[in-house]
Amino acid sequence: MALNRKTAALGIAAMVALMPLAGCGSSNNDNAGGASGSSSPSPSASASPSESASASPSESASASPSASQTKLTGDFEIQYFVGGYGDKWWKKVIADFKAANPDLNVIEDGGPKINDQNKPRWIGGNPPDFVYIDGPNLNDRQMVEDGQLEDLTEWLQTATNIDGDKILDILAQAPQQYDGKIYNIPLVLNSWGIFWDKALFKEKGWTEPANFDEFLQASDKIKADGITPFIHTGKYPYYINGAFLYPAIVSNNNDDYTILQDMAANKIDAYKSPAVLAALNQIVQLRDKGFIDKASIQINHTDSQMLFLQHKDAFIPNGLWLPNEMAKDVPQGFDFGFIPSITQKAGGKVVANTSTATVAIAKKAKNKEAAKAFLQFIFSKAQASQWAELSGAPSNIKGDISNSNAPNFVKDAAKYLTDPNTVVIPTITFNADVDKAMQDATDALTINKITPEEWVKRVTDVVAKVQK
Amino acid sequence: MKPVTVKWQRNLFIGTFIVPTFVFFCIFTIYPVVQALYYSLFDWSGMSENKTFIWFDNFKDMFRDPIVWRAVGNDYFLVAGKIVGIMILATFFAVALTRFNFKLAGFFRSIFFIPNVISVVVIGVLWNFIYNPQIGFLNAFLSLFTKEKVDIAWLGFTSHTIWMLLPPAIWAGIGFYMILIIAAIQNIPASFYEASELEGAGQWHQFRTITVPLVWEQLKVSIINIMMTTLNGSFVIVWIMTEGGPDNSTQVMGSYLYQMAFRQYHFGFAAAIGVLILVLSLITTIVLQRLLHQETVELS
Amino acid sequence: MKAGIRNPVVKIIFYAILVLWGLSVLYPLLWTLLDALKDNEQFLLHSPWALPDMPLLWSNFSYVWNKYNFNQYFLNSIVVTGGSTLLGLLLSASTAYVLARYRFKGSNALYLLYISSMMVPFILALIPLFFLMNSLHLINTAIGLIFVYASSVLAFGIFVLVGFFKSLPKELEEASIMDGASHYGTFFRVMLPLSQPGLVTVAIVNVLNIWNEYIVGTILINDPKHYTLPVEIGIMQAEMQYRTEWGPLFAALMVTIVPVLVIYILFQRKIASGITAGAVK
Repeated sequence: MALNRKTAALGIAAMVALMPLAGCGSSNNDNAGGASGSSSPSPSASASPSESASASPSESASASPSASQTKLTGDFEIQYFVGGYGDKWWKKVIADFKAANPDLNVIEDGGPKINDQNKPRWIGGNPPDFVYIDGPNLNDRQMVEDGQLEDLTEWLQTATNIDGDKILDILAQAPQQYDGKIYNIPLVLNSWGIFWDKALFKEKGWTEPANFDEFLQASDKIKADGITPFIHTGKYPYYINGAFLYPAIVSNNNDDYTILQDMAANKIDAYKSPAVLAALNQIVQLRDKGFIDKASIQINHTDSQMLFLQHKDAFIPNGLWLPNEMAKDVPQGFDFGFIPSITQKAGGKVVANTSTATVAIAKKAKNKEAAKAFLQFIFSKAQASQWAELSGAPSNIKGDISNSNAPNFVKDAAKYLTDPNTVVIPTITFNADVDKAMQDATDALTINKITPEEWVKRVTDVVAKVQK
Repeated sequence: MKPVTVKWQRNLFIGTFIVPTFVFFCIFTIYPVVQALYYSLFDWSGMSENKTFIWFDNFKDMFRDPIVWRAVGNDYFLVAGKIVGIMILATFFAVALTRFNFKLAGFFRSIFFIPNVISVVVIGVLWNFIYNPQIGFLNAFLSLFTKEKVDIAWLGFTSHTIWMLLPPAIWAGIGFYMILIIAAIQNIPASFYEASELEGAGQWHQFRTITVPLVWEQLKVSIINIMMTTLNGSFVIVWIMTEGGPDNSTQVMGSYLYQMAFRQYHFGFAAAIGVLILVLSLITTIVLQRLLHQETVELS
Repeated sequence: MKAGIRNPVVKIIFYAILVLWGLSVLYPLLWTLLDALKDNEQFLLHSPWALPDMPLLWSNFSYVWNKYNFNQYFLNSIVVTGGSTLLGLLLSASTAYVLARYRFKGSNALYLLYISSMMVPFILALIPLFFLMNSLHLINTAIGLIFVYASSVLAFGIFVLVGFFKSLPKELEEASIMDGASHYGTFFRVMLPLSQPGLVTVAIVNVLNIWNEYIVGTILINDPKHYTLPVEIGIMQAEMQYRTEWGPLFAALMVTIVPVLVIYILFQRKIASGITAGAVK
């Protein structure tokens, strides 16, 4: 019986996999951006960190002591997840903040697995002071429900950044409210959408689609030319949900995105809306026409992205972090085409499902003063453009970045999100159970295991249970 | 020496040898487990300061949850598949490497054990590459025999995807049991076989009349051990390779426990699944003990 | 003596099965090595068994080695594995001896308690364990990890060693007591040396398990200074898979496989006999 422990413990040892692979399984829509981002600290975005960065931060640095009247001292601990956006910005902003507050001992908790590593400390009531909520296994809604985050509602009514601007006024997307209260502030603003390679389309003579009909026509041609039209990340179905299904629901609901908010609020009727069925049927069309790559169902995001980059597939639902994430694997001549949604009718509005990553202060923070000062420090124009440059993603601070050194696709993204003809869905976090149920059901739908009606049935059953 | 002192000394000795271990065991094993069992009676996210005592509601929910039943089914599929696959192959290898006079037997034995010293992460990563539909080994291999390129998504069937997790589990498990059975066979006195040979018995006959009955104890232990480690630990390979997907078709109890505790924030519910695993392990152990015991009698 | 297989066809078939299985074990290792020398393009464009293009990308190895502080992790793993194996051995041998040789009230119950604890699904205890270690201030310490590991191997050790002590002839102890040795003296000077094969079994199995243990390490250690090797592998694995660094990922797997493999090859006889010594008794 000697083996007993042997294999048992081998099993335990084997759990190695759990955490690492937990990597991208975040069952949370909001986290998806970061989760997917849990990849490359891309070199491309960082080309010239010093130039534009050098001017602004030092200015802001000198401005900060006035903003936080008292001198900040003691320890101040920052937890930040390092994913597709890299950690260059964090390193830089923390260094700037330190320079502005020499008596403060700033402790950095950064890394791709920091969410898992620090989870015990959150559970144990000894969390870091400040947290960047991104990446897998960190769900803002859950943290709020668990009372982990500091209520910032009142503070934000008057809080200004170090330049003296009111923080709430300069945000592109307002913070999500939980029963009217604010706990976390979006720092990154990104969008889901559909990608293709413009160069390949030109070469093959395919038309770049602007609506669902054109998308189907293009896919027909693509398929006839021997390339699979559509690949998605079946192992983490929040990609296809975020980039395809949710915008489709909004398009089918006369561009009214409140339906998604109702869904997130666990209102069963919203799920039973014809718009949901119509959107699901658009997935069914792709499936029945054989447009969906059969490999999709079992692969993770980097594998699917790799196949897309290698022209094994023509379209991929993803987020705007994709070019940055895959920067070193993008083949020569590859030219990203992007549209936030592809499911609208001809002449219909484009629907952009946004994806944000937020920052918050721990309720049990030991140095809330410093944490608030840090919020005032990072929500400034200077840091916003620095973020765009160093992280390759649009910041959530309003402002024209067209003159900055940010990469082009970041500027494109910003353009989409500010275009009045785009329906911009504010970031929505679903209940974790409902989210998981929708992900599972969508996967099942794509492999012809269930019908759209069964999708609705399954999900509403879970919603009903959650409501209790 | 007075009897009292002798007795006292004996007790003191027992105490000093029993108590430290027991205290240690209570603190670092019993206490956390008992506490986890206690949590199964609560509605608790695992992070919140608020726990609500809900009696057995987690268990009621659990029995109503179809995914739990699928997970139980998958677990027992793996138990059955691993027992059959590992026992047949391990026994065959053990017999072949001890009784058949093969050259290189020692070499094979060393090789076959290797998967057991490799970390399960590595095994998971390797098998994921084997099953990968586009760049994987299996499809590329099959494509050698077909006109069209094979593009089967091995881990993405609408049902029975759990079957695909059996080969890696068997592959990784065999060496250990093989070594065990080899040792048991080597413990059988050579005279038994010699006597049987004089009677002109063949290998198969010897296997049935000598080897199996005499290594039955080890076979039994192996079977029970495979069962227990599968119920308690199979989720590891599942989690590495599929995370229970697609659409929960490869979910086992352990992976669902992990999913519930750390992804969906139902720690109480997860603890209830843990209790289920515990109870099923105990019941299955008893049942298997009974079954296997009877067969021993028949054979000997 | 042994007759072997008489029928040549059967013999060939059996040989073929052995060779095939041997290949199925060895090939993935070779494959790991070859893939460690490829770049992403080769992964996508060539067949999986294609040899890596020249020049070989040994840089994948140096990349991995330079990026991660392997020396430190090896050292941490050695300390933790060694410490917890010794502590676990001491604690289980003492209790096993008493349980095997002395009858007292509750001794059976105690034995059953230890044995049945082997059936408890371990993940269940993780969060309470964290709370416990947190309040004992044993988070991020090697000693905390050693305590937990040592405790986790107690049941197995007791199980094997009780069987072992029972198999030893009673006369030896009686003689020792006659000579006037105390209970302690008998244990340390007579029984412990005699039970060496059993102890070796337990030690080897525990070392293999603890050396590969990951999940407890991840929960209890979050300071890179104290990472054990598996914890670091887990992190590395996650990072690389999500950076699509397939080549470096395989290089990293190789770096972690090789030491274990070398140890196995050097000590395989001991390991094999170690595993079986306990089991066959």
